Amino acid sequence: MNGLESILGVIEGVGAAFITFYLVALGHSIFEKAGLLDLAIDGIFFMSTGAAVLGAVVFGNPIAGSLIAALIASLFGLLMAYLLTTLPISHGAVGLSLQFLGYGLGIVLGYPVRQQVGALYAFCYSHEALLEISAVALLLGLLTYYLIEKTKLGAAIRASGESPHAASALGVNVLTTRLVAAAIGFAIVGFGASFFPLLWQRYWDIKVYTLGYGWLAFTIALAAGRHPIFLIPMAFLFGGLVEYSVTIQSLLKLPADVAKLIPFMGALGAMLAYSFTRLGRIFASPQSLGKIYYKEEKTV
Amino acid sequence: MGSQQLELVLKDITKTFPGGVIALQDVSMKLKNGEFIALLGENGAGKSTLMKILYGIYTPDKGSIILNDEELSIRKPSDAIRRGIIMVSQSPQLIDRLTVAENLTLGLENVKPFAGFSRASIMIKEYSMKVGVKIKPDDKVWSLTYTQKQLVEIVRALVLGAKILILDEALTYLPLEERKKFYVFLQEFKRKGGAVVVITHKIPEALEVADRIVVLRKGRVSGELTREEATLEKVRELMFAEAAREITYERLPSSVKGERPVIKAEDLWVQGDFGVPAVKGVSIEVKEGEVAGIAGVVGNGQRELLEALIGLRRIDKGRVHIDGVDVTNKGIGNIRNMGVGFIPDLPLRYGVSQDNNIIENIAVLFHREKFVIDWDRVQGLTRDIIKTFKILTPSEFYPVKILSGGNLMKVVVGRELNYSRRALIAYNPTRALDEITAVQVRRIIKDKAMNERIAVIFASEDLDEVYQLSDTIYVMNSGKIHGPFDPETTPRDEIERLMVM
Amino acid sequence: MVLRRTRPLKHGKLTTITLSLVAGILLYTFILAAIGVSPLLTLSIISSSFISSGVIKDFIVLTVLGYALLVAFKGSLWNIGAEGQFYMGAVPVIYLTTVAFYTMGSVSIAQSILVITGSVILAIVFGALWGAIAGAIKAYAGVDEVPVTLILNYIAYYLVNILILGPFQGKYVYGYKRTDLIPEAYQLGIKIQLASTGNPIIDGVLSYVREMIIFGWWLLGLAMVVFLVWWFFNKTSLGLKVKVLGSNPDYLVTAGWDVKKVTIATFAISGAIVGFMSALYLLGYLLRLEYPIEGQTAGYGYLAILVAWLSLLDITLVPVSAYIISSLTNAGIAQSSSPEVKQFLTQAGFAGAELSFRWVMIGSILLTYSVLRFLSDYEVRVIRK
Repeated sequence: MNGLESILGVIEGVGAAFITFYLVALGHSIFEKAGLLDLAIDGIFFMSTGAAVLGAVVFGNPIAGSLIAALIASLFGLLMAYLLTTLPISHGAVGLSLQFLGYGLGIVLGYPVRQQVGALYAFCYSHEALLEISAVALLLGLLTYYLIEKTKLGAAIRASGESPHAASALGVNVLTTRLVAAAIGFAIVGFGASFFPLLWQRYWDIKVYTLGYGWLAFTIALAAGRHPIFLIPMAFLFGGLVEYSVTIQSLLKLPADVAKLIPFMGALGAMLAYSFTRLGRIFASPQSLGKIYYKEEKTV
Repeated sequence: MGSQQLELVLKDITKTFPGGVIALQDVSMKLKNGEFIALLGENGAGKSTLMKILYGIYTPDKGSIILNDEELSIRKPSDAIRRGIIMVSQSPQLIDRLTVAENLTLGLENVKPFAGFSRASIMIKEYSMKVGVKIKPDDKVWSLTYTQKQLVEIVRALVLGAKILILDEALTYLPLEERKKFYVFLQEFKRKGGAVVVITHKIPEALEVADRIVVLRKGRVSGELTREEATLEKVRELMFAEAAREITYERLPSSVKGERPVIKAEDLWVQGDFGVPAVKGVSIEVKEGEVAGIAGVVGNGQRELLEALIGLRRIDKGRVHIDGVDVTNKGIGNIRNMGVGFIPDLPLRYGVSQDNNIIENIAVLFHREKFVIDWDRVQGLTRDIIKTFKILTPSEFYPVKILSGGNLMKVVVGRELNYSRRALIAYNPTRALDEITAVQVRRIIKDKAMNERIAVIFASEDLDEVYQLSDTIYVMNSGKIHGPFDPETTPRDEIERLMVM
Repeated sequence: MVLRRTRPLKHGKLTTITLSLVAGILLYTFILAAIGVSPLLTLSIISSSFISSGVIKDFIVLTVLGYALLVAFKGSLWNIGAEGQFYMGAVPVIYLTTVAFYTMGSVSIAQSILVITGSVILAIVFGALWGAIAGAIKAYAGVDEVPVTLILNYIAYYLVNILILGPFQGKYVYGYKRTDLIPEAYQLGIKIQLASTGNPIIDGVLSYVREMIIFGWWLLGLAMVVFLVWWFFNKTSLGLKVKVLGSNPDYLVTAGWDVKKVTIATFAISGAIVGFMSALYLLGYLLRLEYPIEGQTAGYGYLAILVAWLSLLDITLVPVSAYIISSLTNAGIAQSSSPEVKQFLTQAGFAGAELSFRWVMIGSILLTYSVLRFLSDYEVRVIRK
């Protein structure tokens, strides 16, 4: 009985971190499934947290915060997908640029209102909402799985990621497909990121952009092969590492920075583990991920 | 399909590729329902480009596509598919990690984005029965063979309701039996009101099946012949014009082989790109001064064999010796250091660095020992190569990406021939070269074998080339090797039979 | 329609760089204007920062780091890890000067020279190793180097933090979480005072001269780096291989070279140059590390990405782009400390976040640049239908 309770306690504790990481990694995965390399993730994550704070405070409601974050992130996804599909430009360069822009915009969006209200508690989700939000997150995961694996649109997204040229020859409109994938994907990223200030931390400040949690989500997605279902245990694991790093630290009497170090070491470890085992092949990245889609090339 | 009238007109199509290469110049052609057209021409005559424009893969600089008096705007393949224009290429354009049904669903207009793949599955079963082939809708494409993939492509065209079917060398590499079955089916497709355009380099076959023959030469229509008018001679003349007489397919003189084997492979097993064995127990030996040519239809393991010999591909079983040294899985670096030249498949992708200039492209191969580069030496070498191969470039410091395709090929071929001190391993050594340069390259290869005693092993899809250049002929089919044959005494149809068997 | 260019665009580099800068500055000005800061004020602060002697320090640092990243970027190896390599380079410097050979008084010249040389060499080695780790992971595990170098940045931050709180904790810092000051005997500074002449132009020029002398060692280091990078790419076979790797790794393989080794070596060289700059920076300017370092970095490692990109990987343009970027960052600082601007920012609720605005500027410069860059290789043709 006691054991069960403590297990439930852990699950509850990790819940909010799980929701955040799971949704961000899930949205990011949809985006990358379409062949678009997403190096903007950390900036989009931070920007979305700022947008969420803005929305929640302005409308006095956390749900509005989450939706506004989803909307703004989604617009950035559309911009990125459009640029990368219509022009022969580097996915990496555009992504990193948007990352920096995201840092700046996150502050522009979130900082003034945050300063105005001081504490965010009044604008956050209640503790009881955790269960419902978890259900929503898992439902989104299942829907994504269905979308990607079982529908024509999903096949088009995968095809655009594997080989946009062949996909086009098969009748896929690569631009439309990628725009849809990017809009849905980044909306989920923004939605997920909103739970960082509004559910998990119930706090937000300018330092959030130095945390690198967007990059952790990136790694989670990589480690789980961008698969909506495999993402679940992976996000839970990393959520736990981050959430319990403080506990681990006090238990083992380690400096705070050792605890901060653990998730990043874990991320690196996971990347290595996958690439050296058979799992790496199963979870292989889309073949054309990050490759420039350029139509008029004449090769011999 | 129905029996409605259908008339497609391509009018004054012009297309220029970067580098100023004019691929098509004011090309016009007509196509009606119930017609079977063969589009013929040399490599680079513009056949594929023309059909890719019709299918929306390329956008023309100028010209229009008119279907039943309506000007079409075809900007992407889905626009073409909507009009019933479907193309099947030589290399399957299917997504390997998707199933057959998923691949085919992508083109089905009336399947909604959130619908599944059952409709395609049903249609696949129905149409593959009609054509007489076996296709399982739930198979992942990577698990299929080349032939199966091409069959899927053709069934796909029917599932999508093709009215105009373009086959760009799509049947060329199918086994004879499958091909015959298809020609029968295409005749029926035609009778029911469809139109067919076939691009092929098998002229006799084209003469047999086509109602009309359109010949392109250097981006222009050089002539049209009806079935009745067409003869092999007339077609050849339209294809090559006067140049046809200058080009010689005469055998170059045989060289005297030495006794010492330079390249020796024993019972080689090598995997292809998808983890299935591509080379199955090949043993081959090339002696000093010998030129060995491997004939074969593309995709029968030639590429994998050559890549294994040069050390680019892991050898699962068997041994490779070069100059008596065991180099099995020792890596390409060691083998290159022994003075082995290598012309890869897709040379512009694997054989040249586009952003660097000519001299750097040459230095990175030739400069192997010291840390500091002796640029004077490399410069002398580069100038030699530019001169010998008549590479059109203002200087050796010219960025390679600005050269035309043919000149780029000359950089690759010239560099590798010059580098070959002990052996040359080459895949389609004269691909994309004009005929005159191609003959010259073959002469140089022969010359190096005879005078510098290097061993040469090459694979080519061009049987004429194999005959012209080889002292010994091998045939590769489904990963196995047949031979050696003596080109002087072995008839071509014997080799052809082994190629497609 | 977009087509590959057959000839390079005339003045393409200049146009791309100028347009990117204009776009970034405009967006920055626009956002500040929305808050209430007059665009004229913003633009005048930006332009005056271009002729301020205060940029010299940042200019040198960013040029060296820009070259470090250029080495990797030339090989299409996106080393985003200069931050981490910088702080790992600082580790041996702090150890040697404030722990192992700490001194309150004077030491022999020989010891000074040995400790300084040792610090510089070990900083180079540490930077190189931290870079090589990313290279090795890329080469042997095939993991994209961008997330790897980024993650290594965070790992480096926290490792150095742990060191500052632990073995490197200063003994004479009154309980502050920081290391001891690097003793004067090991500092690489030149002290100089130039009397004011009263003439503003002469004084302006003199202040430049003074800064150049103060950072004399750095200038020497900068000159060495410029020469070595030039020599590396033009004369050595490894440099050539890096260039080919950047353009077409497949050809490098076909030519018989080990891409893995080249990758690791390139990362090591890139990291080594970062480590070198790190030693100079600590010995000549920063003099100590403070906890937590990730909060107080000037973000040199990230700014250097901007420098390298904006130079279009042209060796001669790196100093130019470093000068532009250091002027712009200084403008950001000048802006946020200008009382007038500060007032507006505080009113708009940005007190305490003033500096963050430069991310908007940096981001938009980079974005415009990454988008426009294709114009130097491609042309846009409009097809009428």
